[in-house]
Formats: sequence, C-alpha cells, structure tokens
Amino acid sequence: MKISSRERNDVIIFDVEGEIRRSDISDVTLHQLVKNQLDSGKRRILLNFEQVEFIDSFGVGEILASYISTHNLGGKLKIVKISKKLYLIFQVTMLTKVLDIFDDEDAALKSFF
Amino acid sequence: MPKNRRRSLLSRVVEFKPGEQVIAVFFFFYFFLITAPYYIIKPIRNSSYLERMGDENLPLAYFLTALLMGFIVNFHSKLQVKIPRRTLILSSLVFFFLNICLFWWLFTHDWKWVPVVFWVWANIFAIVLVTQFWILVNDVFNPREAKRLIGFIGSGGLLGAILGGMMAGALAKTRASSFLLLIAAGMLSIGILLVLSIFARWRKSEPGTDREAAARTKMSMKQAKAGFRDGWETVKQSPYLKLLAGVVMVTLVVSTLIDFQFNSIVSNKVVTGPGMTSFFGYFNAGTNAFAFFLQLLLTSNIIRRFGIRLTLLFYPLILLLGSAGIGTVAFASIIPAVLIKAGDKSLAYSLNQSVRELLYIPISAEQKYKSKVFIDMFLNRFAKGVGAVILFVLLTIVPRSSGMGVTAAGIRYISLVVAFIIFGWIFLNLRVSRGYTDAVKEKLKPPRERGDRLVSEQVDVDYTKLVFDTLESKDRSSVLYAMHLYDLIKQDKLTPELRKLITYKTDEVRAASLGTLFEQGETALGPQTEDDLDNEVLMKEIEEILSLDTYQEVMKSYVDKAISEEGEQGKTARMEAAKAIGLMSPDARVVERLEDLLADGSPEVSHYAVQSAAALKRRESVPYLVSKLSAPFLREDAMDALAKYGPKVAGTLADYLVDKMEDIEIRKAATSVLARIGNQDAADFLGWELAEASGALAMDIIDGLDRIRSMNPEIHFPQDIIKSKILAQIRSCCQALVACSLEERIEIRQKMILQWEKMQADVLENIFKLFGLIYPHEDIAKAYQNIKTGTKNSVAYAIELLDNILDREMRESLFPLIEDLSLEERKSKCQVLLTSLAGGKKPE
Repeated sequence: MKISSRERNDVIIFDVEGEIRRSDISDVTLHQLVKNQLDSGKRRILLNFEQVEFIDSFGVGEILASYISTHNLGGKLKIVKISKKLYLIFQVTMLTKVLDIFDDEDAALKSFF
Repeated sequence: MPKNRRRSLLSRVVEFKPGEQVIAVFFFFYFFLITAPYYIIKPIRNSSYLERMGDENLPLAYFLTALLMGFIVNFHSKLQVKIPRRTLILSSLVFFFLNICLFWWLFTHDWKWVPVVFWVWANIFAIVLVTQFWILVNDVFNPREAKRLIGFIGSGGLLGAILGGMMAGALAKTRASSFLLLIAAGMLSIGILLVLSIFARWRKSEPGTDREAAARTKMSMKQAKAGFRDGWETVKQSPYLKLLAGVVMVTLVVSTLIDFQFNSIVSNKVVTGPGMTSFFGYFNAGTNAFAFFLQLLLTSNIIRRFGIRLTLLFYPLILLLGSAGIGTVAFASIIPAVLIKAGDKSLAYSLNQSVRELLYIPISAEQKYKSKVFIDMFLNRFAKGVGAVILFVLLTIVPRSSGMGVTAAGIRYISLVVAFIIFGWIFLNLRVSRGYTDAVKEKLKPPRERGDRLVSEQVDVDYTKLVFDTLESKDRSSVLYAMHLYDLIKQDKLTPELRKLITYKTDEVRAASLGTLFEQGETALGPQTEDDLDNEVLMKEIEEILSLDTYQEVMKSYVDKAISEEGEQGKTARMEAAKAIGLMSPDARVVERLEDLLADGSPEVSHYAVQSAAALKRRESVPYLVSKLSAPFLREDAMDALAKYGPKVAGTLADYLVDKMEDIEIRKAATSVLARIGNQDAADFLGWELAEASGALAMDIIDGLDRIRSMNPEIHFPQDIIKSKILAQIRSCCQALVACSLEERIEIRQKMILQWEKMQADVLENIFKLFGLIYPHEDIAKAYQNIKTGTKNSVAYAIELLDNILDREMRESLFPLIEDLSLEERKSKCQVLLTSLAGGKKPE
C-alpha cells in the first residue's frame, strides 16, 4: 500500500494505492498520517480510494479511527472514488451512515465548505 | 483636559470597543436628559400631592396611574403600528415638553385637581420615555455590547437623577422654584436634539457595525408593529417571560408598599411645604448619587463576581433587612425609613435595573421587544396598582390615628406583609436565574457528539469487520470462508443482501457508475451455493461436531501441526486454527494452543487469535493481548479484545498505565481500553494517573475520561485532581503567552505567537473535557462547541453560560483565555492570573 498526500483548497487529500490490509502496511498507518495532519491544524481530510483494490477489517478500523479522530477535533473526513463493490459493502455494513462518499473529487472538495 | 487623557479616564471605567464610544456617550446623555427633568418633576409631584391630598390618599394616586397606564400602553402600541420609531420617540419628547409648559401654567392657579393629574402624568412621563429609551438601546446594541455598556449608559440616567434632584432641592426654597418645571422642559428640549443626532448617526453608521446587527435592527423594526395583545400573548406563552414578569410585578408591589411607608413616616416627621419639597429633592439627589457610583463603579464588578443568580438576591435581601428595621422601630426614628427607601431607590435604578436588562439578553429580538413594551410600560404600572389594592386592603385592617393617618403599629403590619412578599420574590428570583441559564443554553448550537459514540451508534463495527474478513478469506481459504459464514449465521447476520454481496465478483466498476445491485437478477451475482443451506440445521450440526471429544482430539493434533508449519501454506493453516479456536467452548482442549497463535509473527494469524481471545476471555491471553497494543497493525484488534474482557482486566491495565517504564504506546492504549470499559474503577484509575501524567498521555487520559463521562453520566470523578489539572493547563498556557511577549525579536515573537495559538486550542480542548467531568457535561460541550466554531454572538452566549455554571475560581481562571481580547489585553490578564495562582507572588 502506498499513501501520498496533497492539498487542494485547504483540504488534505490522501491518495491511497493498493490494498489496505494489516499484512501490507508500511511504517506509518493511514490513521497515523491523518493524525499528523490533524496535529498540524488541518481539519478537512479527503481519502481518495481510486487506486484501492481491497480493504480488510484492519483497513476498516483505520478508516473509522481516522474518522473519529477528525470528528472529535471538529473536522471532516470524506471518501472519494471507491469501487462499486466497496461501496456496496459500506452500504450493507451501514458505514455510509457516518462516512460521506463521493464519485468526484471536485464535488467532494466543494462539500467541505 | 487633553482629549487623550479624557478618553483614557473614561476607558478606565468603561470597556469601549472601536466605534462605540460616541454612540454610547450619546445614549448616556439621552438617558441623562430624560431622567434629570423627571427628578425635577418628581419632588414637585410628591410635595404638591401630599400637601393637597395627604398621605392617606396616596393609594388613589397609585391606582389612577395603574388604571390609566393600561390605556396609555394600548394607545402607544397603536401609534407604533402607524408611525416609525424615530417619529414616535421624537413626538413623545415634544408632547411631554409641551405638557411640562402647560403644568407650569396650571400650577400658577390653586386648583386642587392639578396635583392629582400631575402625579399620574409624571408617572406616565417616566415610564413612556424610559421604556422608549431602553427599546432604542436594544435596537442599536447587540447583547454583548449592551452588557458591556449598560453600566455606563445606565449611569447617565442616574447622573440625571442626581442633578435633577439636587436642582429641585436647591431651588425649591428660592424664588426660582416657580421656574423648576421650565428648567425641566428646557432639558427635555436638548434631549430632543440629541435623539435626532442618535438617529442620524445610527442611520449613517449602523453601530454594532456588522451585518448581523443591521439584520437584527431591521427585524426589530419589523417586529415593532406589535400591539398590546401581542405583548400579553408573548409573555403568557413563555415560562421564562412569565417568571420575569412575576419578578417585575413583585418588585414593584414591594416598592409601592415601601414607598407608602416612607412617605407616611416623612409626612409625620418632616416639615410641610417647601421644606418637604426640599427634603424630597435632597433625598432623591443623595440616593441617586449613591446609585450612580454603585452603577458606574460596582455594578459590573458585583455581577462579574457573584453572577446573575446571587446579584438578583442582593436587592430583595437588603429590602428585607430594611423592612425588618422599619417593623422594629417604625415611627421612633426616620432613619430606618430613609435607609430602606434609599436602598430601594439606589438598588432599583442601578444593580436591579442592570440585572433586569441582562435577563432580556438571551431571548429573541421578537420576544424582547414585545415583552419589554408589555412588562416595562404596562405591567410596571399594573404592579403599582396591585400594590395600591394591597394597600387599600391593609389600610382597612391596620390601626389608624384619629386624623386617619397610619400609626406605628400600622407601619409594622405593612412591614410584615412586605417581608412575606419578599420571600416570594427571592423564590421567583432563584427561578428566573435558572430560567436565564436555560434561555442562554437554548441560544447555543447543540454540542457535537463524540466520534466514537457516533460510530458505535450508527455502525456495528464487529459485524462490519466480520464482513470484510469474510470477503478477505474468500480467495484465501474455503475453510476460513466457511468459518466466517458460520460466524455470520451464528450471529444471525447473514442477510440475503449480504449473501449477494459476498458472492459478487464485479469489483472493477467504480462508484461513479453505481447501479442498483440488489435490483439485479440473480445471474449477475455469481454462485449461490449458500442459498441452499438451512441455517438452523447447519448451526446445530456444526455445534454437535465441535463438542465431540474425538473432534477435539483430532483438532488438537491438527492445530499442533498447523502451528509447527511455516511459510504461506502454513500461515493459512494457522489462520484457520486461530479462527477455529474462537468458535469452540473455553474448556475445549485445543484452546490451550491459543497463546501460541497469539505469539505468532504473522499479523493475519495474530488478528484471528486476538479475535478468538476476545471470544474466550482466557486470563492467560491477557499479557499477549497487552503486548499487541504496541503493534500498529494489531493495536485496534487488541484494544477491542481487552475491552470485551470488561472490568475484570481494569486493574491489570491500570498496572500497565502507571508503570512509567512501560512502552508509552501500551500505556496510551491501556488508557483507551480503560475508557472503553468505562466503569467507576476505570474512571478512578484514569483520574489518579491524570494527576501524574503529562504530554500526550495526559491528553489521552483526559480524552478517555471524557469518553467515560459521555457514555455514563453516573460516574464520579475526583474533583480536586480535575481542578488542579485544569489550573495547571491554564497556568502553562498563560506562561507561554507571557514568554511570547518577552521575546524582543519580532520574527521569533510572531512564530512563538503562532505556536501559542495552537497550544491555546489544545489547552482549551483539554480544559473543556475536564470541565465536562465536574460540571453538566452537555452544557460544557455546548459552550466549547460554540466558542470553537460559533459566530460572535454564539461565543458571547457560550461565555455567558459558563459565567452561570462555573464556580468563581474556574471562571476567573478560564476567562482570560476565551474572552474577546486583544493579544496585549490577554497577556495582561494572564499575568494577573499567574500572580493570583502563585498565591499573590510574582510568577517566575
């Protein structure tokens, strides 16, 4: 899994590539990267899952922990471009109740304001 | 006096914000120029009435005033519908100016009815002009500005009362006495010019100066089209306004009774004629001078120091003491009468007036306007009427002298009645102060729920993870996949939708082209082998197999073999073994190998072993689970598992938490698990460790305690530790700010200030979480939410709420960090606070 970050319109975008699973993590987890941005005062986080092929239960935990940390600091965490299958799993497991998911990056960015 | 010096003197007494000074000074003089004439008129009213009609006919004057005031309010309301505010106020001033000239002429004739009409008219004069003044104040200033400037603006009225009273006292015995009314008329004419200037300036600059104030003003003007009935309905529908109206009623009934007692005693003890006019003039001037200094110098401090609740009690308690004094000595001396009346007058127009105006702050502009007209103009007089009726009744009961005046015993009876009513008044004040706090709360946005709570309420996290594990296992191992399906069936979670989902293969399509999967035909969903299984039969059969001794024996061998296997193939076998153990009963033989699997180097194997440990809750597994708390990829699983052990592992976790030699990640994770366990023991362990902790661990403990509090309001927290931690946080923040100001190099100082602002945000987050442990949690969360993200008014209301719920020490320590101050002002306040926290010693 590779995670890179960029900033657009005061929103930090994490471009995630590969699989978010416990057997495939690098030195720093997604949640840790999100926390680093929160510590530096950023409060708008967008996870771009266009290149994400698979998420296991660890990945779900990372996403939820990131969401909780952001929410507790008064920020917003959203997701853009997830696969149809992941979206359906998110729907069935009701993750879509707490996570805002968008098809398009511009629409996602606009929704922060 | 140089302009700058004059400004600084005024600024020492009043806290002006840029652009407020001129308009505030205009209002100061507007109030001055309506009260000064009134306090010239008032002694003339009193002396002419008492001389002509006698004190026994005072109730008649009160009653007539009350009766007529109803008609005046109705008439005034109708005028408001027809004419703009500016025209109404200016017309009223001109009308009363002409009236004064007319009365000056009427008093040159010795007609007996003139003092009666003059008494009633004088009261209408005061009520109409003062109410119009306060309505204009509410129009022009927003609540924060009004609260800050109310002391200064109100003192204008008191200064007018002093000078008016002094003028009446000084001139009453001279030849100029016949010109007193003309002097009052002259002052009012200047007031007319001043009001013209206020409207001109207001229109030009829209003070309050932001759009919000402008919108509020327009809304208020629109709502000015309110009538008498609207006012009555508004008060009737709001419990808070009913209480406020009740307080005003009782205040004025008491005031009326005290006024009667005072006038009765004075008319028996003081000479008549010009001597009486002079006495009233000096008395009014004296009490108003006291009220003026009280208002200008002490009112704000008293309110700040004691809060609205206690400040509301000062006035009735002092009158209660005075009433007891009159009841005890009555006619023996005029001193108690003078003292109680002086107390009544000075407090009514300073402290009480200010607090009463503050009570209107949290209600909406619409309610404020409608209720103020009704309460201040109508109810005010109606209460006097009620007081008059009570007096009528009392005068038929109490002993009277042969000249029909009231005896000392009569005064005592009235004092008893006054004392009785004051107790009711105190009760109402306590209720209204609670209502005020509730009204402030209603003005605030609801607090944001904690993220973890929000997630736990909306999402079944265990189920979600199980679904993902099922999907993950599908391509890895049919055994693992089958065990996951069994797990889902056991939990009754394998819904038809989920069956379709986990058999769905087309994952290349992006969310952008999402179709309605569940509306598609079965053919699109891949193989449907699971559909044919009967869940109940399946579960029964599996449970029977798992309980077989032979199965346990075979499985034990299989697990032993799997644990000894290495490589990718061995990993899958170990994962299957780890998962299978979790499906068995705790006394199964194979369960003994769980700790071996917990110690497995593969995160995937450990993940299933941790899940099984959570299901079996073996004591032997705890150290292994704790060791996983330091591994980023297993920490969340291990925390979930330990939390499922519940209170029985709280003590063990506390041991790890307090061990300073332990890995900090384990200590932090232990904090999080204790917070999830969330019982009284967990709260105690975290509270005790908070006293020692610092840095990131302290922040995690504070967050953990906040989580416990939000999940379980019944839990108690150690107040002394919490308070001392709050003060420590405030102290460190203040010290950092003072350190910024000591840096002389501008660039470095600016960097330090940026860092300090970040620190301030963190400190406030911690402080409010800590406040939430010892004060009402939701109120504190509301206040924090509004301070952090709210508008200017939201911040003001949040501070107002805190002002009413925090104790003095906490309030005075916190406010330098949250009040709307410049950096320099904040630094000064922080320095004062640091000195105070250091016990008066200068901070290091």
